[in-house]
Formats: sequence, C-alpha cells, structure tokens
Amino acid sequence: MTVLLQMRGIVRCFGAVRANDGVDLDVSGGEILGLLGENGSGKSTLMKVLFGMIPADAGDIVFRGRRLGGHRPADAMAAGVAMIHQHFMLVEAMTVLENVMLGWAAAGRLLKRSEMAARIGEASRRFGLDLDPDAVVADLPLGRRQRIEILKAVLREAELLILDEPTSNLAPSEVADLLTILRRLREQGKGVVFITHKLPEVLDVCDRVVVLRAGRVSGRAPVGAVTKAQLAEMMVGRDTTAPHAARQAPSKVDRLIVTDLEGPGLGPLSFAVKGGEVLGVAGVDGNGQLELVETLAGLRRPRGGALSVDGLDLAEAGVAARTEAGLAYMPADRSSTALVKGLSIAENLMLRDSRRAPYKRGLFLSRAARDAKARALMREYDIRAPHPTTPAGRLSGGNQQKIVVARELDRKPAALIAHQAAWGLDPGATRFVVERVLALRAAGAAIVYFSSELDEVLDVADRIAVMANGRFAGIVTRRDVDLGQIGLWMSGRAA
Amino acid sequence: MDVGTSGVTDAAPPTSPGRLPALAAWRFHAGDRLAWRIAAAIALSFVSAALLVALSGHNPAAAFAAMAAGAAGSPHQLGVALNRATPYLLAGGGVAICFRAGIINIGAEGQIALGGVGAAAVALHWPDTPSPAAAILALLGAATLGAAWAGVATAIHLGRRVHEVLATLLLNFVALLLVQQTLAGPLGQSGAGFLQSPEIPAAAWLGKAPNLGAHAGVFIAVVAAAALSLILWLTPFGFALRVAGRSRRAAAYAGFSMNGLTWGVMLVAGALAGLAGGVEVLGMHHRLIEGFSTGFGFKAVTVALLGALEPLAVIPAALFVGLLEAGSLSMQRQIGVPSALVAVIEGLTMLFVLAATVRRA
Amino acid sequence: MIDFLAAAIRIATPLLLAALGGILSERAGVFAVGLEGMMLMGAFAAAVGTWATDSSLLGVALALVGGAGIGLVVAVVTVRFRADNMVTGLTSNILAAGLTSYLLRIMAGGGRPIAIHLTPLAAWPIPGLVDLPGVGPLLFVLPPLTYLAILGCVALDFFLRRTQWGLTLRAVGENPEAAFAAGIEPMRVRIVAIVVGGAIAGLGGAVLSLQQVGTFTDGMTGGRGYLALASLIVARWNPFGAAAACLAFGAAEAFELRLQGFGVPVSSYIVQMAPYLIALAVLAGLGRSSRMPASVGQPLSWER
Repeated sequence: MTVLLQMRGIVRCFGAVRANDGVDLDVSGGEILGLLGENGSGKSTLMKVLFGMIPADAGDIVFRGRRLGGHRPADAMAAGVAMIHQHFMLVEAMTVLENVMLGWAAAGRLLKRSEMAARIGEASRRFGLDLDPDAVVADLPLGRRQRIEILKAVLREAELLILDEPTSNLAPSEVADLLTILRRLREQGKGVVFITHKLPEVLDVCDRVVVLRAGRVSGRAPVGAVTKAQLAEMMVGRDTTAPHAARQAPSKVDRLIVTDLEGPGLGPLSFAVKGGEVLGVAGVDGNGQLELVETLAGLRRPRGGALSVDGLDLAEAGVAARTEAGLAYMPADRSSTALVKGLSIAENLMLRDSRRAPYKRGLFLSRAARDAKARALMREYDIRAPHPTTPAGRLSGGNQQKIVVARELDRKPAALIAHQAAWGLDPGATRFVVERVLALRAAGAAIVYFSSELDEVLDVADRIAVMANGRFAGIVTRRDVDLGQIGLWMSGRAA
Repeated sequence: MDVGTSGVTDAAPPTSPGRLPALAAWRFHAGDRLAWRIAAAIALSFVSAALLVALSGHNPAAAFAAMAAGAAGSPHQLGVALNRATPYLLAGGGVAICFRAGIINIGAEGQIALGGVGAAAVALHWPDTPSPAAAILALLGAATLGAAWAGVATAIHLGRRVHEVLATLLLNFVALLLVQQTLAGPLGQSGAGFLQSPEIPAAAWLGKAPNLGAHAGVFIAVVAAAALSLILWLTPFGFALRVAGRSRRAAAYAGFSMNGLTWGVMLVAGALAGLAGGVEVLGMHHRLIEGFSTGFGFKAVTVALLGALEPLAVIPAALFVGLLEAGSLSMQRQIGVPSALVAVIEGLTMLFVLAATVRRA
Repeated sequence: MIDFLAAAIRIATPLLLAALGGILSERAGVFAVGLEGMMLMGAFAAAVGTWATDSSLLGVALALVGGAGIGLVVAVVTVRFRADNMVTGLTSNILAAGLTSYLLRIMAGGGRPIAIHLTPLAAWPIPGLVDLPGVGPLLFVLPPLTYLAILGCVALDFFLRRTQWGLTLRAVGENPEAAFAAGIEPMRVRIVAIVVGGAIAGLGGAVLSLQQVGTFTDGMTGGRGYLALASLIVARWNPFGAAAACLAFGAAEAFELRLQGFGVPVSSYIVQMAPYLIALAVLAGLGRSSRMPASVGQPLSWER
C-alpha cells in the first residue's frame, strides 16, 4: 500500500480557539481510515484544511509526493483529493448530469452531455451508485444525493476521498449501502478518510482509527486492536458528567396536548406531556423534527390538528400569543433565529418579551429596566461577557445558548420545546443546558426535548419517542428502552 | 438583511473567499468607528471630485471655496441650504427606518410628488381657511396622499408577493404621470406655458424666518427626525423593526408580524415623504409645479445612507447635501464648474459609504 | 399594423439589450438594479465617442466600455464589499446620471453641454427577406444594433444552457457555496457577469443615442433600465422570454403613440403609464417566482 497523504503539525485557530493543535495524519491507498471525535474536536477543520477550504496557520501537507499549501479546492481536486461534505454541495435546481459537469474541465467548454451521461452510467454501475443523469437533485432523497458527491469524486479519478459525517442524515439501511460502496472504493485502491463520531460504524468498516480530542490526536490504533470502550475514552477523556440528582415522578396532569397535528412533511401526530415530564424525541435529523417544532411554536400553520397548553387552545394562536400562554421555544438555529447576533445581550434577552413588563413602561421601553434585568439574568445563568451591551455575536457558542436558555426559562413557562439545545456545545456547556432543563422539569413544566444525539435524549428523557417520516414511529419509557427497537424505528424511512 | 451600514457594532473585517486584491485596504486602518468611516468616504469622494474639476480645466481649490461660500457664506445662503435639506430630511428619515427594517422602499420619489398634489389640492379646495389651520390641513393632505401611495405599493408587495423594490420603483413612474395628469386637469392653471397649479392662498404658506429665509418646514423636519429616533430606540415597534432588519426569522420567532411591521413602517415613510412634498409646495414654490421634486426620492436614499440609517444622523447628512447643492449653484455661476458635479459627489460618497460600512455577514 | 410592429421592435430593442445584460447579472446571483446607469453611460459614451471620432463603430465600442465601467463599480461595491445589491445599483444610477451630465458640460469647455447632432444609424436590409411583399421593407430592414440584440438573445440562451461557463454562472447564482466546493471562484464569476452584463446594457444605451435619437441628453434613458429589469423578471430570467416581454412593453408604448396620433380622447399621461402598469400586473400575477436564482441578493459569506 502506498502512502498517499502525510499531514504534519497542522495548526489552525479561530480566534482564541485552537481547532487543530499540531495534528499529524497519514493515509494510504487501499485503506479506510476512521477519524473519530466529538463535536468541536477539530476533525472537520482538519479536513477543510486538507481540501483547501481554509488555510492552515502552520504545518505541512504532502499528497502523492507533492506539497499542498495555500491551495484552494480546485487545486486539491486536481491533485486527487475529493471531499464529500456533510451538507451536500449540490445545486438543487440542476440535474445530476449538470452537477457532475460543474467545474470539471473534462466536460468541455461546450458541454459534452451525451458523453458525460454515458460515463456517469458506467461509473454508477461499477460502484453500485444507481444514479440517473437526468434526475433533478431537488427530487432525490438525501441518501441518493450523497452518492452524487461520491460519483463526482470517482469520475475525477480522486485517489483520496474524505467523507465528513456521511451517515448523519441517513437511515440505517442507507448507511449499510454506503459502507458497501466504501468497501468497493477500498478494493479499487482508493484511500478513504471516514470522519464520524459514531463508534459502531468505525468498528464496522475502518481499517485504522485516529481519535481527535480538543484539537489534538488522543489516540491511534488499528481497528482490530481496540475496543469500543477504549475508543470512547480516547474521544471523551475521563467521564466529566456527574450523575444527575434522582428524579421525582411527573405529575398526573397533561399540560401539553397535541391532537392529530398535520402539515407538509408532518403527521398526523398526537401526543401528550405531563407536568414535570420530559418527552425526548430522537431520530435522524430531517424526519420532520423542524416541521413539528416550528408548528408547535406557531411559526408554521398546520393543515389540521389541535394544540393546547394547560387547557388553553392554541391552534389559532400566533407566536406571541403562545409565548404569552406559557409555551417556550428554543430553536436549533442559534445564529439567526434564536438570537440576533448584532444586537446586545440585553436586547436578545428581551427579544420575545419586549411588549410586557419589566421592559415596557407605558408607551416606551425602559433601558434601565432592560439592563438591570439583563445583569440579573447574566448572574443567574452564568453568561460570561463583559457587559449587557456586548453584542451577542461576540460570545462563545455556549454563552450564546445560555442567553437562549435564560430568556426562555426565566419566563417560568408551562411548557418548553427544545430543539437541538446542546448542539455544537462543549461538554461543560451541554451539562449546563441539561441541568437547567431538568430544573425546569422539577418545577413542573412539560418539556419536549428534540435531539439527533440519542445519548443526549437517553440522558434527559422520561419517555422517548422516535421520529421518522414526520410521525412518531414509537414511544417508550426510559426504563423500557431497547436500542435495537429504537434503531428499527429510526430507519422507518423509505430509502 | 444588510443594507450597508453598521448600527450597534462593528465586528472584525469580513473574510472573503475572493482572491482579488483588497482595493480599499485603507478602510481597515481608518479605525472601526462608524463616523470615521463615513467621514473618510466623504473625504475620498471630494478628492475624486477635485480630480474631475481639474479635468475640466478649473482650479479645484477655487471651485470648492466658491462652493463653501455659496453654501454658508451668508445667512441667506444658509437658509437656501436649509430649505433644500428639508424635504431630504423628511423623506430620508422615513427611508432610513424602512431600510433598518430590511424593507427597501424606494418609492419616495412618487410619494413626495403626490404629497405635493395633496397639499395643493387641499389648499386650493378650501381657500378660505385661516392660517395656521390652512397650512396644517394642507400638510395633512400631503401626508395622507403620500401614505396612501406607499400603501398601494405595500398592498401589491404583501398581497401578491412582488418584491418591494420593483413595486415601489414602478409606482414612482405611475405617480409622476398622475401628477402630470392632475396638473393637466383639475389642478392645472390654464394659460400658463407649462404645467403648474394656480398659486396657493397665502394663508397656507409656511412662514419664513427673517434673515435666514428658511421656512417652517425645517422645524417640522427636525422634530420628525427626533420623533423617528425615539420610536426606533425606545418603543417596542422600533425594537421590532431593528430585529426584523437583521433577521426575518428571528423577528417571526420573537412574535412580530412581518406584515404588520411592513404596513406600519411603509405608511410612516409614505406620510413623511408626502410631508416632504407638501412642505416644498407650501414653503418654497407656493404652487404645484411639474417636476418640482425630481430626484428628491433618490436624494432621500442618499441622506439615509449617509446618516447610517439613524434618523438623528440623517439631520447632518441632509444638511450636508443641502449645503452641497446650495453651494454648487454658486460654484457654477462664479467658476463655471457644472453643478452636476454635486450629483457625482453624492453618488461617489454613497458608494464609498456602502463599501466601508457593511457588517460582517 | 406592420408599422405598429416595426415601432414595437424599435422601442423594444434597447430594453432587450439591457435585459440581456441584466440576465447575466441576475443568473449569477446579483440583482440588476444598476441597468439604468449602465444604459445611460453607454448612451453617453456612444454619442460622445462617435461625435469625437467620427466613427460610429468606435462609438459602439465605447458604449461597451462605458457600460462595463459602471458595471465594474457596482460589482466591486456589492460583490467585493458585500453591500446590498439594490442600494448599490440605485446609487450607481445616481452616479452615472451625475457623471454623464457633468462630463457632457465640461467637454465644450464653456460649461454648456456640447451639441451633438449625429445621423441615426442607417438600417441594413436582410437580402432575400427584405423582398417579401408588404412585410419585407418594414420588418426586415433593421438598424445594425437591432440585429445584434436578436443575435445576442440567441447567443445568451446558448451560452447559459450549453457551455461550461454558462453552467458555472448558473451554479454561482443558485448555490455559490457548492460552486466554491466544485473549484469555482464565485466572486470572480459574479464580478465578470456584472461587468459583461453592464457592457451589453451599455449597448442598449447606444441604441438610444446612436440609432434612435442621434444625440445625448441628460437622463435620456428615462427609466428604461428599470423596465428592462421588470421584463427579465417577468420573463423568468430567460433570454427568449425577455425578448417577448420587451416586445410586449414596446407594443404598449407604440400603442400609446398611435392613440395620440388618432386623437383618441384618452389622456396621454394615463396611456404612458401602460408599460409600468402592465409590468406590475404581470409581476403581481406571477407572485414571487420559484424560478428565481436561489442565491440572488445574498452576499458571498462563509469561513475562508
């Protein structure tokens, strides 16, 4: 096996954060290397550096004997490196054929459509990709779209393929298909870097594994020589989560009731959550979670169905009315929905409550009241920033989420919808969010907690629902959870 | 939605995926403060203007001196500048709050013209009203018509999902033709060589300050700008506007109705633009003249941008443009440099301001 | 009837050229609000250039340069500096108006606008077609820039659908991040699209000053650039559709002129509103089109 890639001493910083802190990496042809790590460990950054999407601050990259540096994606591709992105870089309005021809000199100045279509057919057969050149990307399911990326890599005779979290949007059957394709690539002598945080997949398909933690390599091993537990420890370090306090039982009263809710990509769906209970909703992202969450919050109108909080019918109510009625909502999109980055912390804390006390006095807003409230909330929720007038965009992800948490929880809501509340946060910030959610639970609120991380859901929930194809495929109590059954429910999605 | 001016904060300079040389690296050294950047933009455009003056064979220093003398050399000249600035300030304030909310309303041109019609129509229809009721009623008529026209654009924009730029823009042309139509018809003065209305009764005129020659509209405009700033910063409506301008999704999440905000801000801006037209008719010409407000709408956008979309800052911005224009006429008379140079200065200044003040995306 | 059609074609030609230029810009993801200024600068450059050099060919070439120049200004401010498309376009229109008026006046040295009187470009007959009875002499004898507009329409359509550059441009307009990942430089593509589009729009201005009126007057484009923008949106960003839309607006205006000729008791002002009202009506009927390039108006912004 020839060594394809040697990365030495890669350093990349974002502000004060050292996303890559002196990383070495080797990949050979005909092997699948697993690059393992939690969110924020630096694996995506490392690959973006390799692919030329961002420059490294220091370090060397040698690919097939030639140095790669200060390069852009076009150069990386010309050298034989291909990247299959987690969020597909495809033009939805165009066909498979057009997406393949894009940026590819071999397609000619005057596009050679029929010739390219023939080559797509041939490669598609060789690697089992099953793609129709004239299909419009927008019409294809996510699993198929990913294959277009692989097809592009293969047609351009890439020697090294980087797959960034390729299974995060796939159902289990699609995952199995993908792993088969990767094995075919390996047989053909290609090198594959498989970036993931999912241990089972690494053990299934990879030959070697490199583990990153906090920007550094925390372990390397051939897959046969290491156990899941050892990998987990390399990934996470020592167990930092203290066990949560023993929980009291939920009340008997349903506080949040949803009946026959339905809309585009959603439902019909019915469930009820008691006061003091957390209903965790697990499932692969893209199965209707966003539709459900926004419909509950009032941002989308359903085709039909009813929703009530503490007996108050909210089906016709707008967002403001629902907030007033005690329904709190933490959106997944922190950067442009839950927060307004250009506004100050104080203004973000007041975002959804600007029309009531203490912010509004008479006809006008009271700056003094706003700032005083902000200071109080910053103390109580440990939001680290110099001043309430600091722009929210300057804070770290964890502190930004604290603003969202502070705002929604300070209202002492009757019900909370939390969507990916700990997404992208380091373990400390995650623990903060989870603790506050559980404190709200103890105060008697009904909580629906959506997350694509099954571990997180298992940690927090009293009952667990699995969302697939816009509906709940099943609901169980935490005690009765069977991971196999959950996996089956998750894959209830058509390929 | 980012029009091109920072508000509260200036983050680090934006990184960009392009390889083109940083054409204006100087701006990173001008410091992060917004006012400095705008001042630098103005300075740069004056330098360019000086080059253009030199191109015409005249001495730039002499030209600018004549301009300055013509602008503020005497109280009378200053009054001219203030009068010119007034409609820009009124309409510009309205445009500024629209842009703040992420709504690109460029219908001021038509709204101002129709405001003039409103003022003239009311004043001529009830000629026996005593002052100051006559002027107040006429101004109300102006504001109403301006707001109504903005309302038409809003209805098309919200009701049929037409982009607000296209709706307001196309309606400008329709409005100008409507004004010509009314002057050719009910409001016209027969026998005059060109389209104009009969003279408006003196009771409806806006009083002029002695010496200065500035009319009462100046005062109205300043009060309006102050009121706008108050609304923007100290009311829930203003807060909603500022949120909507930065993120529509956040505004929806915050419980604000984008439709309600759009109606509110467009009607206010339309009313202010109408008021600008009314003030021009009642204070300056004392009759409705065809083309009395040509270009005012785009000037309103200019001063709104120069004032970084902050109504109080639009006051000096409007004054600056007013001084420029008052001075340019002197400059043309005395030195021979065409007054069209002012439009060039305004255009260049705006482009530099746009380039220098974009927030990080 | 035939000469009504001929009039419609004549009026539509500058609109079509501007619209074609606008399509390049919009399909690359930038709102083409600056068409008015690009046209105006092209009209100015063509008139002054021809007057100064006695060569209408040079005049046309200068129109391309003038339009491209305004395009470059817009491109730098809105693509490189990421200012809002709309406001940048409007501002550049103001700049172009001021600059053309100013330059027109300083060229004579006396501060008065130079008097340009050019013979409008002669029409070229198409051999064969021109001999068709009735129709021939009226429809198939067109001035050169009009032929250019028709050719441009066909060429642009071919370019967009069947060349690698066209594919690249469309991709940047739909998903610049995907284009970047495919090895394309979205910023460069957008800038080139705006500049070339500006040149073509400048050609539209040349039609006005060289082919129709024979001189340059302040602001002679009179809002045609905005009408061209409306027409390309109505046409769903498609070159042939733009030709149809411009022809429709041309017909509306030709109709208005006919009405005036016949002494019909409808106010000329009301009828002049027709093109704008039609544009509004069509836009209102279409609503927000789903065929709009997906990334139009969005600045290029992601971590580098």
